[in-house]
Amino acid sequence: MSWEPVITALEIVLFPGFLFIFCYALFCEWVDRRIFARLQNRYGPLYTGWKGILQPLADFIKLLAKEDITPGAADKAGFTATPILFLTIPMTLMFLVPVLGPRAIAAFEGDLIVVFFMTTLINLVVFIGAWSATNRFTVVGGMRSALQMLSYEIPLGLAALGPAVLAKTLCISDIAQWEVEAWKSFLAHPTPLGVVTAVVLAFGFALFTLGELAELEKIPFDIPEAETEIVAGWHTEYSGKKLALIRLGMDVELIFGASLMTALFLGGPSGPWPIPPAVWFIVKTLLCVVLISTLRALFARFRIDQVVRWMWKYYVPLAVVYMIAIQALAVVI
Amino acid sequence: MGEEFLVPIGPQHPALKEPENFMLTVDGEYVVDVRARIGYNHRGIEKAMEDRTYIQNLYIVERVCGICSDSHMTCYVQCVEEAMDLEIPERAEYIRVIVAELERIHSHLLWLGVAAHEIGFDTLFFYIWRDREVVMDLLELISGNRVNYAMPTIGGVRRDITPEMEKELRKGLKILYERTEYYKQICLNEKTILQRAVGVGILTPRQAVELCAVGPTLRASGIKSDVRADDPYIAYDRIPFEVVTYDWCDVAARVMVRIDEVLEAIKMIEYCLDHMPRGPIRVKVPVMMKVPEGEVVSRVEAPRGELIHYLVSRGGIKPYRYKIRSPTLGNIPAVCEMLKGGYIADVPIVLAAIDPCFSCTDRIVFYDVGKDKRWVWTHEQLRRYGIEFYKRNRGEVR
Repeated sequence: MSWEPVITALEIVLFPGFLFIFCYALFCEWVDRRIFARLQNRYGPLYTGWKGILQPLADFIKLLAKEDITPGAADKAGFTATPILFLTIPMTLMFLVPVLGPRAIAAFEGDLIVVFFMTTLINLVVFIGAWSATNRFTVVGGMRSALQMLSYEIPLGLAALGPAVLAKTLCISDIAQWEVEAWKSFLAHPTPLGVVTAVVLAFGFALFTLGELAELEKIPFDIPEAETEIVAGWHTEYSGKKLALIRLGMDVELIFGASLMTALFLGGPSGPWPIPPAVWFIVKTLLCVVLISTLRALFARFRIDQVVRWMWKYYVPLAVVYMIAIQALAVVI
Repeated sequence: MGEEFLVPIGPQHPALKEPENFMLTVDGEYVVDVRARIGYNHRGIEKAMEDRTYIQNLYIVERVCGICSDSHMTCYVQCVEEAMDLEIPERAEYIRVIVAELERIHSHLLWLGVAAHEIGFDTLFFYIWRDREVVMDLLELISGNRVNYAMPTIGGVRRDITPEMEKELRKGLKILYERTEYYKQICLNEKTILQRAVGVGILTPRQAVELCAVGPTLRASGIKSDVRADDPYIAYDRIPFEVVTYDWCDVAARVMVRIDEVLEAIKMIEYCLDHMPRGPIRVKVPVMMKVPEGEVVSRVEAPRGELIHYLVSRGGIKPYRYKIRSPTLGNIPAVCEMLKGGYIADVPIVLAAIDPCFSCTDRIVFYDVGKDKRWVWTHEQLRRYGIEFYKRNRGEVR
């Protein structure tokens, strides 16, 4: 009997599968909350577990136990499907980024395209959920979410395509691999071209981080859920189990965003020292989470019209310039 | 879509700290029309005051508003002192100014934090509120309370400011001055704040005057109007200060007016500490004192704007009629005008920019929904109506 299927099953269920994603997502929420709080001169979660580390889990369990209300006027199917899809989509995507080794569990040629397709789907799900809740605030929130997507999606995609073009592959794991190889050869024989490539990719990383902030609906792009304007935005009507799933989905989206940043720009789960790849993965993604929570402590919220205008005026042209630079580099290399 | 899409802001809404209702007619993200509806927080304070003695009323009037409690109290004691023709010691006047200005600092810093929160800048919100603790501690040091200081009383003030307190005050004020200067620089330079504040919620000087805006809202439209300067009360005629005005007419101007007023208030307190005469802090008045017949109007510049109290005395130990016009009421027509033509996203910050305090605002206006008619009754008419009503419905209404 071969152990292969058993190991794969364990990988899917335990590590780096569902259990790991669940725990790591909650852990990252704690890190995010702590850092955000410390930057604001607060303490953040403090009492549950060591320095409040179990607070996200406690919140999750508490929400599971709370009453689950479906508004009478809501469209039941859409309203129920949204939280499930909102959690499962980013969770599925987590199987496409390398965690345990150089290759992700479900890596295949072209999974980068799938990732972009699925992240767009998340926004669609949000819109459907907002619409089927039939609340004024959710509808406005859903509209804003869709509008925001229209403005950040193309440049975010372009930023992610940069390393793909240079690596000449559309498989995320292969891109990470290529990056490691390229970095090694650059360290062995530093060339001016290598420096230029690194600078361009760093620029791409900045663009991608910005896009991720918008994608994750973090300040200054938390417009779809701006609490002082439209209560909780698109998820105003959700409560109980459904809200728990949505919140977990947001956390998984956060670590997915961080691991995509890691895989596309930071060389995935590998590093100069012989430490297990999973540790490298955690270190690098945590850095990305810290970066995101620091950025969100620094700004005030934009207005939706400002975001759309600003993104198309600066962000999209910058992404196009970046793409041209990448193409030029690809030709030279 | 031809029909109206109404978005209710309130009576329960995260942007409002108190229940009030604004019905917005929106077209996409634009606000087309606004209807304000007040009256969710009516507490019957004016009526309650008619049933209590002048000393008891001190406690009630202080609780009109949690934040500008001292302004209401100052206004009330001024009213009564004017009616009784009472002269208060000079030191008491200075102490009243100090508490009033400390209250202004605390109120404006609180507002700044809330404003930062409204535009989604929570980091600034937490920083400002941390520094607001300094002024809260100073108020606690002087009066023993963080809110509802109970400092003014009829005939003077209740507690003296000792030299030790003075030292602490100066120390705290220095910190506050530095921090406020820092926040001023942030508000002037931080792009994301400016983006949300400049050109938002425009109120032209003409509109401001026509709609009877008051306080920082009015001064942010470039109108130099401040009761402290126009009609000096307590010791304000002896203290040099500048009336802060900005003529940008938008939310940014309202922010800057408040920040500069905090700086101005700090200077005023320091001046008071330097020039405060020694002496008694209170003249004795009898507990069951009688106020001679007459009508008195007293005005005070509360942190939110001009506050008017009106007292009618028929010579007893209780007021015959007491009327409070709080500054927020004066600003509501103006805020409705500011909201029109703006974005939904700007509603919270524009609403917040008048620093609304609805619990002090609410009162009864008669409104016939069927006939769409609005009227106001005099006190006498209302009284007669009440008597008639109960006569007519005896036994049915409890």
